[in-house]
Amino acid sequence: MAAVEITEETRQQAERVGPADVVVGIAGAVSPDELRVRAQQVLTELGSGASSLRFVFAWPGATPEAAAGAVQAAENPALTLIPFAPPAQGTGELWADVSACQRAVLALAASLKARACIVLGSDLAALRTPLIQLFTYAVLDRQCGLVMPVYPSAKYDGLINSGILSPLSRALYGKRVHYPLAFDFAVSGALCAGLARTSPAAANSLLWPVTVAATQFPQAPVGQVHVDAHHQVAAEGLELSAVLGQLAGSLFQEMDQCASHWQRIRGSQATPAWGNAGDGQPDGQPIDPQPMLDSFLLGSKNLEEVWRLLLPPNALLELRRLTKLAPDQFRMPDDLWACIVYDFALAYRLRTINRVHLLGAFTPLYLGWVASYVREVSNLSSAAAEQRLEQFARAWEEKKPYLLSRWRWPDRFNP
Amino acid sequence: MWQQVEQSLHSSMGLVMNKIATLLPGILAFIAAFLFFLLIGWLVALLVRRILTAMHFDERMRGGASAIAEWSPRATPSLLVGRVVFWCFVFAGVVVGVSALGTSEHIVSGWMLGYVPRLVGAAILLLAGNVLARFVARSVLITGVNLNLSYARLLSMGVRWMILVLTGAMVLDHLALGGAIVELGFGILFGGIVFALALAVGLGSRDLVSRSLEREASRPVEVAQPEKIHHF
Repeated sequence: MAAVEITEETRQQAERVGPADVVVGIAGAVSPDELRVRAQQVLTELGSGASSLRFVFAWPGATPEAAAGAVQAAENPALTLIPFAPPAQGTGELWADVSACQRAVLALAASLKARACIVLGSDLAALRTPLIQLFTYAVLDRQCGLVMPVYPSAKYDGLINSGILSPLSRALYGKRVHYPLAFDFAVSGALCAGLARTSPAAANSLLWPVTVAATQFPQAPVGQVHVDAHHQVAAEGLELSAVLGQLAGSLFQEMDQCASHWQRIRGSQATPAWGNAGDGQPDGQPIDPQPMLDSFLLGSKNLEEVWRLLLPPNALLELRRLTKLAPDQFRMPDDLWACIVYDFALAYRLRTINRVHLLGAFTPLYLGWVASYVREVSNLSSAAAEQRLEQFARAWEEKKPYLLSRWRWPDRFNP
Repeated sequence: MWQQVEQSLHSSMGLVMNKIATLLPGILAFIAAFLFFLLIGWLVALLVRRILTAMHFDERMRGGASAIAEWSPRATPSLLVGRVVFWCFVFAGVVVGVSALGTSEHIVSGWMLGYVPRLVGAAILLLAGNVLARFVARSVLITGVNLNLSYARLLSMGVRWMILVLTGAMVLDHLALGGAIVELGFGILFGGIVFALALAVGLGSRDLVSRSLEREASRPVEVAQPEKIHHF
């Protein structure tokens, strides 16, 4: 394991600033002026409630202008701003760059010996007093090691998260976390250095906060806070198959690396959540799932020869049966979808086919699940859809023995 | 007469035995060289694998978006490197063995010996062409399906056969078989395909293209509707 390096300049800045209680780090490019105004506002609103705590705000910008900004801020004793050098290895991939920046924030917090570190998205949507209070409360008062956000979402939002990331992360690591891939989260001081540390093999990992906390710090409690903020993801120009490939690939790679840990975990633990869940998002208009269904049918017509290399005969038979259903009866069973994802993860590990091909062949299947889900929840309220997703996640847990069996004995006959 | 038959049989048998006797050292030299390089290759590959494992080569390769990790079949990148080293030694053994065979003069004609490298090169070309054709065809198929192209399979098959035909022509050319016929045939085939496609688009789809252009020109500027579904 190698620690995420902070530059000498940042280290000197950190030494000048001295120890902090709470480090609020921004994981991405941000305007220093805007950050200063927003941070000042937060400190003012926190008022006497946070008078005993020393807050330090950090942002990636080790430029002369940024350093000047830090000096100006230092003139105001209540507000401490510290720039840090952003990680050098920019891959250009959205989550990979954010993830590297988040690790750098944690490394800085560890060097400042902070008791808590709050990492926020670069759009500053979550830099608001109630959220800072909530995160601080969960870490300092409730002794949580890791606090993840629960974003308000409509039933058709974040489907990769609902359909793959969240249930798979829950089934593997036993923590019921709604958003394992988050822009905002908080970490206790004890875990900062541990989470900032990374092995070269895990450098591409995206869900590392939950994974590392669950595997390396199993005793540290994990909590959640309701974050009433919407992050604007620059979705324009992003291909679904490319994004899905990046996320699923990262998750499958993590599975391979942490296999010895997750194989020992059974069931899942509820994670306490704080804050106001709000009234939820409006249900919105029903969506026509036909385009997604068409993509799935096109995939099943053309990619069966590829799927045959990755999926067992039973799953192929089920998929073939699905293609023959009328559009209004199309429904992909939860356990079938869970088994498909597990089989793809196994094939990724075994390198049954080229990994780029494997992840590409996954997209039509995912769209099949989306079509099924959209059809199923179209008449449900957001709350009912949430319950449906809970039932869906339980199916993944119930199918975990299947994953264990396939993972341990991949060559055993599997009908 | 029987004496003459017997004599000619004796002399031909003697000739064959003589040839075998002179060929035998060459064959033995070939086998010895091949086995020696096989053993050396196995040992060196084992050593390379041990060194790479000690250097945590696999983890380093998997850490980044490394091409070598992507090409490693089922196993680890260090195993792949080990196999490459091993097969390099096997190839070297075959080359040295064939040279040793060649030194046993008058046995294998110079033409045949000269042809062996061409055969090896052609086999490598054929193998590489097949692997490339499969890889590219699968890439095209998956990308086409993800772009919702209903003719993805046709496209993939076309790409596959284009690469296979190109490989076939290169192999024949490398083997110096067919001479100008291969070049001519390949040129006609490729040119024909391109010409047919050009005609199909230029003549057959003329009306379609003009209608499509007219429609695009007269279409009012549409305001993009916000997506109702969000995958991420």
